[in-house]
Amino acid sequence: MAKQLRIALAGNANVGKSVIFNQLTGLNQIVGNWPGKTVERAEGTLHFKGYKIRIIDLPGIYSLSTFSMEEIVSREYIAVEKPDIIVNVIDASALERNLYFTIQLLELEAPIIVDLNQIDLAAKKGIRIDAEKLSKALGVPVIPTVAITGSGIAELLSTVIAVAQGEKKLEPLKVSYGREIEERVRAIEKIVNAKLPQICKVYPARWVAIKLLERDADVAGKLKNYKNGLEILDYAEKIASELEKMHGESSPVIIASERYSLASKIAKDVTVIEVPPRISMEQKLDAVTTHKIFGYLVLAGVLASMFALIFAGGSLISASLESLLLNFSLWVEQWLPLFLPQVVVNIFSKGVLGGIIAGITIALPYIVPFYILLALLEDSGYLPRAAFLMDNLMHKMGLHGKAFIPLMLGYGCNVPACIGCRIMETERERFIAAFVVTLIPCAARTVVILGLVGRYVGLQAALALYAFDLILVFTMGRIAFKALPGEPVGLIMEMPLYKKPSIKNIALKTWSRTRDFVYIAFPIIVAGSTLLVALEMSGFMNYIVWGSSPLIAGWLGLPVEAGIPLIFGVLRKELTLILLSELVPIQSLTAVQMIVFSIVTMIYIPCVATIAALNREFGWKKALAVTLIDVSLALLIGGLAYRILSLAMPT
Amino acid sequence: MQFRHKGQKPKIENENEAVSITSLNEGERGIVSHAVGGFGLLRRLAEMGLTPGTEVKVLRKGLFSGPVEIEVRGVALALGHGVASKVFVKPLKDASHG
Repeated sequence: MAKQLRIALAGNANVGKSVIFNQLTGLNQIVGNWPGKTVERAEGTLHFKGYKIRIIDLPGIYSLSTFSMEEIVSREYIAVEKPDIIVNVIDASALERNLYFTIQLLELEAPIIVDLNQIDLAAKKGIRIDAEKLSKALGVPVIPTVAITGSGIAELLSTVIAVAQGEKKLEPLKVSYGREIEERVRAIEKIVNAKLPQICKVYPARWVAIKLLERDADVAGKLKNYKNGLEILDYAEKIASELEKMHGESSPVIIASERYSLASKIAKDVTVIEVPPRISMEQKLDAVTTHKIFGYLVLAGVLASMFALIFAGGSLISASLESLLLNFSLWVEQWLPLFLPQVVVNIFSKGVLGGIIAGITIALPYIVPFYILLALLEDSGYLPRAAFLMDNLMHKMGLHGKAFIPLMLGYGCNVPACIGCRIMETERERFIAAFVVTLIPCAARTVVILGLVGRYVGLQAALALYAFDLILVFTMGRIAFKALPGEPVGLIMEMPLYKKPSIKNIALKTWSRTRDFVYIAFPIIVAGSTLLVALEMSGFMNYIVWGSSPLIAGWLGLPVEAGIPLIFGVLRKELTLILLSELVPIQSLTAVQMIVFSIVTMIYIPCVATIAALNREFGWKKALAVTLIDVSLALLIGGLAYRILSLAMPT
Repeated sequence: MQFRHKGQKPKIENENEAVSITSLNEGERGIVSHAVGGFGLLRRLAEMGLTPGTEVKVLRKGLFSGPVEIEVRGVALALGHGVASKVFVKPLKDASHG
């Protein structure tokens, strides 16, 4: 049997960690969630020199404090699960800031190997790092790599094995602080060691002491579970206040400053500045894409061409796939009755198969090109520029610039957009962002708006609907921001250098995200579709249509039959248009009816896949709340639009 | 030089010298003197390298008092306008320095 090894990749965001992970594991990876947390957990395996190596890609973080869930998840994994080796991926072009994180790993007394990545980017900035010297300073192996090309990866793996087999010894640097802090850390460490043997089995006593001095809420919470915990907390609190009085700064800042002065010293010692940097292509691109005027033009251009590509490509693939799958389902309907009762066949072919076909005809044609373009924007480093440009506007909704990214994703598909809200720092921000995302017309709704209003009423009317939707998104965002308790969080975001994306990495990202989408969306689409077909066949649907007619016909002014497409539209929004055209001749609809129908489709309910995503990210209560708000909003606006438009454009 | 909590009395001696990062122009440099705000924000700023005594350079300012992009410890960092206005620096006169 192969010898087992467990390694974790840890490091800042934007250091190329996920590229390393993809280089190491290729297709052998599973992306999921940490148990009970909405933090992505990517795990993969590889075989090397007789070892079966399990690799965990920890989230990209800047610190091991308790700023975010990602940081807590990472440090708990390192401290509690104790992987055999931690590969600390650091960005050679931002050494000082990256070493700040390395120092914290050393404090956690984790067995680390340093992967000095992006040495090509550093070279572009005119920086060369002496890896040998850095290795001496840190007391651990340092392997230079360029992950994008795979250079240095084999050596990295060999080093991992050499360390695992004990051929290479780690003699990690012992991080010590200035006398004033050091004395206090030791005093707390001593009492932790003496009185909390249970905690010291898991966490290094010195680390606990430092965290207590930093007033770490999570560690304090752990201590409260023990008999002696409170006493030690009081003691540490007293010492921290003493330190703060001496320095006139809060203790986490004092300690961060100390760590940074060490990081800075090491970085200076090992950096060889070769040539003063020239103005590079990347810098010019950066200047244009964040420019006060040109930046916005570029952003508009990027978005417009992205959607044009998705729609042109998507509708083409969608149409051909649909006809192919339609033939298949006709074939099934022809042959299956020979073996099974007709009722079962109908439910199977219309419900189960219909659901799968629906999934395939949206998932493949629209989602895949969308994911490819998204990965391209992500890997090139463009998204932070877009966030920078939109920060001001997003603040009006109580969000900051990063929220623009999930909002933009929403135009493709709400499902990844809801999951993309994870980039927001707090639960409150995540939820506000996800709520407004559900109001953004995704590709499927765009099909309805363009196919109905755009085609029969005019493109201007369709564009007016989009403009109206933007106002709605903005207004609802602002209301949610005022209604939900909590302080808005400001933007603090790294602006990484532009990079040339790698095709392999984009392909892998697209693949794993598409798979993830299929896992979330397909079961629920199939179940929903089966249920609706069963309702229809049992005759229940007629009752629902009859019951909803006062709303559909009376309040919204639509033909009574329009209720059915709206119910089925919960599965996939573009179905509303297809079904509507089967039930009512489109030409018989008035312009007002078309507009009202499109408005309702645009906002009335998140599709089942989005509800499933909301449920996964925020729990069923919030998913239900968003659903109910969206439905009421659609009915309210639809009814008002019917009345106002009927006056404005009499037929 | 100090980072302090909201509400605490400023204890800095030459407070007048320090200005908010938002009042620097593009290309100007300063030395971080202190920041104001809650515990979480102060810690975050320090963790991202904005500790007292650190040199920063304003790279770019957004439209209509938008975010500010600064260079700190060799890294470009975007700060929302609200965050940036809470970070105070002592301006360095010599713009060509470093």
